[in-house]
Amino acid sequence: MLHLLYTEWLKMRKYTAFWWMMGLTALSYPGINYIFYNVYSQLTQQSDKASQYAKMMLGNPFAFPEVWQTVAYFSSWFVFIPAVMVIMFISNEYSFKTHRQNIIDGWSRNEFITGKLLDVAAVTLIITILYIIVSLVTGSLNSTGASGKFREKTHFIGLFFLQTFAQLSIAFFIGFLLKKAFLALGVFLFYFLILENIIIGLLRFKQWKIANYLPLEISDRLIPRPGFMYLTNAEEYRKDLDAIPLHVALTLLLTSAIWFYVYRQFNRIDLK
Amino acid sequence: MVLNIRQISKSYKTVRALQQVSFDVPENCVYGILGPNGSGKTTLLGILLDILKPDSGTFQWFGQGGNAEIRKKIGSLLETPNFYSYLSGAENLRITQSVSGRGRAKDIDDVLHTVGLHNRRWAPFKNYSLGMKQRLAIAAALLGNPKVLVLDEPTNGLDPAGIAEVRELIVQLYRRGHTIIMASHLLDEVEKVCTHVAILKNGQLLASGSTEEILSEEDIVELGAENITQLKELAAGLGGKMLENHHTNGLIHISFPKGKIRPEEINRYCFERGIILQHLALKRKKLETLFFELTGK
Repeated sequence: MLHLLYTEWLKMRKYTAFWWMMGLTALSYPGINYIFYNVYSQLTQQSDKASQYAKMMLGNPFAFPEVWQTVAYFSSWFVFIPAVMVIMFISNEYSFKTHRQNIIDGWSRNEFITGKLLDVAAVTLIITILYIIVSLVTGSLNSTGASGKFREKTHFIGLFFLQTFAQLSIAFFIGFLLKKAFLALGVFLFYFLILENIIIGLLRFKQWKIANYLPLEISDRLIPRPGFMYLTNAEEYRKDLDAIPLHVALTLLLTSAIWFYVYRQFNRIDLK
Repeated sequence: MVLNIRQISKSYKTVRALQQVSFDVPENCVYGILGPNGSGKTTLLGILLDILKPDSGTFQWFGQGGNAEIRKKIGSLLETPNFYSYLSGAENLRITQSVSGRGRAKDIDDVLHTVGLHNRRWAPFKNYSLGMKQRLAIAAALLGNPKVLVLDEPTNGLDPAGIAEVRELIVQLYRRGHTIIMASHLLDEVEKVCTHVAILKNGQLLASGSTEEILSEEDIVELGAENITQLKELAAGLGGKMLENHHTNGLIHISFPKGKIRPEEINRYCFERGIILQHLALKRKKLETLFFELTGK
């Protein structure tokens, strides 16, 4: 395993686009949280009554333990940046025909795909560590003496890891199927940013629950919006929290199916 | 045996790329796989290296079915050189080394020296010329000094000096006990280095075996006289087979079964019928001649 990961590292370490994407990820995850934190601060730190009312309504989503969920939710908006990186991992191999060369040189087809699986897992781990750092820093700056609450809601670390891994797996899957980087990136970004949101909107308008089970939505629902975004709709918030275990199971199922298909298909096809 | 191939067939939609191809590659030989473009050479090598899946048939490397561990021991160049364009030659070889487990860091320098790329080893692969890319692919195949090499058109893109260097390299490797399996359509190149050949056409194996055996089935007599037309008429009575497509420089070529004709008999035959031969030579059949006969080109 480590050997596969090391070889993947040899492929990536001098790839400029990889470092650009890592840099963008490293900026965007803290960035989006900082922006929302600023908005929150401006809404609540005035001395007028409106600010006091807002503070009462919103609570402090950037203090422990809420910060774990808040940062996870806002950070997950930017998963498309590492997704670009993951698509490049596989489309580069196709365009350089090195997916053939790696097999010729002695990897089994399973080893090749395992290398890619480890890539996706490694990127997910890096992003999760980034999320933990952002949450710790933001939470520490906003919490006062409530150290007991630090551990509450830390299960969102696991949920964030699973959500990121699942969504990056979908990106990888699209790259694996379409082979060409621009095509795969276009399809993923169009689906991630536009198409699924339109479909969900239409389905919700018709009150069809299937909207909750679209490929990205399955894992999106691992991290519900922070409580303050539900405002007075506490019932809906409770339902979304209760649905998390179901979505964990569905996410695991879909992600396993994706990788199972990728392994099976790569073992069956001619590598051209 | 290094390799046994049994009844391998492969089709692409309506095209039958390989049809029940079988032959064996013994240890320490240079085995040339010959054939015109589209004859199935690269398809066969692709199957042997697990890039393509055969429809039917089997093969064994070193008496075992093909698997990743066995491929690690084989230095291979298939079709075009495939490397990461943004990495340098040396960095690409580091990946080859990591994937195959063949060789150490020092060996990368050595193979780059061997193929004449050492001074450009840190240049990005994308900036290499076609010939340099081919040299890097040969370096990758040589990494770790594998006992078996599979080289598909190894001289593609090389200049005449490069072609001669690769030919010399193959001969040296053979002398040191290596087995080289090479596909090529350059007959002259193959004839100069190969100890064995397999000839493919439209996916069918037309002949296989040692070059000596395959080429020594016939003797070719080369004749020349002032009146070539009269010589041709007379030669028809010798009983051999006139090679119509291969008379050059006023010479004619006649093929006889091995050992069935002696030059002095031909000379006497012509002289007694009033033809003075200006040229008479008994020649080994050229691979090119055999190839054109078999493939009908």
